[in-house]
Amino acid sequence: MKFSPMQIAHVDLAEHAPPPRSDGRPMLAVLWWRDLPLGMVAAAAEETPFSSATLASHLARFAAEQRAARDPALGAPLRGTYDGRPEDRLRIREARDAQGTLGWLDSVSRLPPCSAADLSVVICTRDRGPHLAACLASLASQQSPPGEIVVVDNSAAGDARPLCEARSDVRYVHEPRPGLSHARNAGIRAASRQIVAFTDDDVQPHPLWTSEVARVFSEGENAPDAMTGLVLPARLDTPAQVFFQMRMGGFGSRFVPVRFDRLLYENTQAQGAHVWHIGAGANMAFRRAIFDRVGLFDTRLGAGASGCSEDSEMWYRIIATGGTCQYEPRAVVRHDHRDSWRALHSQMRAYQNGHVSALVAQADRFGDRGNLRRIFRQLPSYFLRELFESVQAQEPERRRVLAEELRGWASGLRYVVDRRWRGKSSEKGPR
Amino acid sequence: MRYRIVEVELARPVAPLAIGTDESGAGLIARLDGRLIGFHMLPLSPGTQLSQEATEALLDNAFAKSVLRARIEAELAQDSAASPAPPLPGLTIAICTKDRAERLARLLEALAQVTATSPFPFTEVLVIDNAPSDSATADAVACFAGMRYAMEPKAGLNFARNAALAGARGELLAFLDDDVVIDREWLTGLAIACRSAPDAGGFTGLVLPYKLDTDARVAFEARGGFGRGFERREWHAASFAHELHPVGAGLMGAGCNMAFKTDLLRAIGGFDDALDTGAPLPGGGDLDIFYRVLRTGRPMVYEPRYAVYHEHRETIKQLRRQYWTWGLGMMAFLDKAMRSDPEILDRHRAMRRWWHVYQMREIAKAAARLRLRDLSFAVAEYAGGIQGMIGEYERSERRVAAIRGQGR
Repeated sequence: MKFSPMQIAHVDLAEHAPPPRSDGRPMLAVLWWRDLPLGMVAAAAEETPFSSATLASHLARFAAEQRAARDPALGAPLRGTYDGRPEDRLRIREARDAQGTLGWLDSVSRLPPCSAADLSVVICTRDRGPHLAACLASLASQQSPPGEIVVVDNSAAGDARPLCEARSDVRYVHEPRPGLSHARNAGIRAASRQIVAFTDDDVQPHPLWTSEVARVFSEGENAPDAMTGLVLPARLDTPAQVFFQMRMGGFGSRFVPVRFDRLLYENTQAQGAHVWHIGAGANMAFRRAIFDRVGLFDTRLGAGASGCSEDSEMWYRIIATGGTCQYEPRAVVRHDHRDSWRALHSQMRAYQNGHVSALVAQADRFGDRGNLRRIFRQLPSYFLRELFESVQAQEPERRRVLAEELRGWASGLRYVVDRRWRGKSSEKGPR
Repeated sequence: MRYRIVEVELARPVAPLAIGTDESGAGLIARLDGRLIGFHMLPLSPGTQLSQEATEALLDNAFAKSVLRARIEAELAQDSAASPAPPLPGLTIAICTKDRAERLARLLEALAQVTATSPFPFTEVLVIDNAPSDSATADAVACFAGMRYAMEPKAGLNFARNAALAGARGELLAFLDDDVVIDREWLTGLAIACRSAPDAGGFTGLVLPYKLDTDARVAFEARGGFGRGFERREWHAASFAHELHPVGAGLMGAGCNMAFKTDLLRAIGGFDDALDTGAPLPGGGDLDIFYRVLRTGRPMVYEPRYAVYHEHRETIKQLRRQYWTWGLGMMAFLDKAMRSDPEILDRHRAMRRWWHVYQMREIAKAAARLRLRDLSFAVAEYAGGIQGMIGEYERSERRVAAIRGQGR
């Protein structure tokens, strides 16, 4: 009953089509205004189909958020604060004068496609042939074809070679050294364009993905050093997938653009800058030149090494040194969450282990003691709070996952004491 | 402690905010072009006089998002005004009262004003005088032309509500307690709610504080009051966000401001006389009726513009008793639901467990922070709940059976 499979429905509120009716499962409705994703609404089967008044009330709330975050007359662009939320700059005077929001929505939701010729799309893969094929198929149907597609095969034997060589639009790179960071770095070295966009083999980009990624970097002087985008669940067919999306928050569900810079860093420095709010590695891109400034991915981190956080540690370096990361939810991908509890458990264990490793790496690189406070104070109190919540909410599933997180955290503590590990920063940083 | 209630119209430039030296904050009621869009409890030091800029900054913080949303909602309403609105039903407004003629007169006065321009095709006001000790209520009603008066000799709020149900001529039956005053948008709000969901079984609305002139009233409102927010909501037989719903029916609103389709109420047998009986079991009646309406499969709608002002309990002692009442009413209702509706017994059981943990947590929180008053409220609510759990509903059934016997 709890975390039972859900149906995902996409609803374009600009079309007055009849709202979707549940097929008996609970529904996660993704609301759009044409090409602009507005927000998600979860509903029990009994709460569907949504009445027009319910849709209108969601539309009003989401449209207000979009306008506050995108309309320069209302204070946009907004910078990210403590928990990744955009700062609040809306004032009554401007809000009162904001007329014609539906027309405004039309104007921001159907933009001419942006050329992605400057984009190298890098897909790191490891022994996941069918997933990779689906991912490549989504890339082939992009409205703006990317300048190049680089597949980095991180398997020992080079299993993905036949699949890639069958396609003329794909460059194949084999990186046998295990670890996602090694693979990502090989992709950066192989990439020939100004912008390097990463996605994973378990991800299907939306047809406008490359166009929207390119748009973020096309803003001249205001263009950021890095960008991240929205990661939606591709399916919620198993309890583990529903749990990850609905209980753990998935890969984020923010639908408004946020600019992350020094403000987020300073807001959270005392507990280790909360850079994981910036986005997810399944949907991120960088200006190629930024790697010359801050270095490549830390090969001690990431899947295949410490578990994860090679992406957020890179964002840490960028915002700590005065750079900017733009979160732009127009750039949408869909991700296949782990479908079994076993896979989810090992993922959550790896996340905490990797998180601790990244905190140690960040503390070493920048001398920010806040990262260690995060390990020894903030995380334990988070575990306690979650334990209490899971008891009150009667969620054995959460307790099970929490136990895995604890194990991951505890095994991550070895990085704190491992001098050899700490001394070995494989890629040159700015300091 | 007292708070000044300040109403601000945000469509126009606002005056600087100032409170008296005997006041320690403001309850800000915000409107945009007359429409209620927000309420905010703002603690201030006594005698504060804010500058224009400080006032504006403060209001920006509290209400700017609501202003933008209200602008868009107005635009959407205009957009859909092109399609014909469904017709409204006839409306009976029932006020169940007992020996509070003065407050009743205040409410009737306000009702006389809004019903003069009612959007409903038929509107009547029906006062149910519940086991009165004198003729004051009858005299008060007689001062207003066209308002109906009926007497229900069996003491108990739900006896009175059922008398209203028996006498109502409208297809929609709205209930008001005698300790509320309606907002000027109340009737419009009910009409909006009704048109937005013609198939709904019932409606609830916003409840704001009428006065914040005593410690108890400020404390109650600061702890959340009856506030259910400024966003319209639809409640169905299940809710994704609240998996125990509709067992936690209090989320939907409060009995002091609710309306139902008359035929539906009659079909499900009206209100349960053994709840909301007055002194021995003064609660649970609203939870029970919300729950039973939703269990028929018909939705309920919460509409913030369908708003009233409630005169909260004046003294801390009365307020503590109210929390006790809440615990008692909740658990008596749950006890009844468990026995009469076994189909979703797992949700009832989960709610009972959740409620215990929640109350314990409230007690522990208040104790840890040495907030003795909050602690006494939490303990009172918990004690009420325990009493509700251990057979209070059955005792109440026996009591009302006796009252029914006397009435015959």
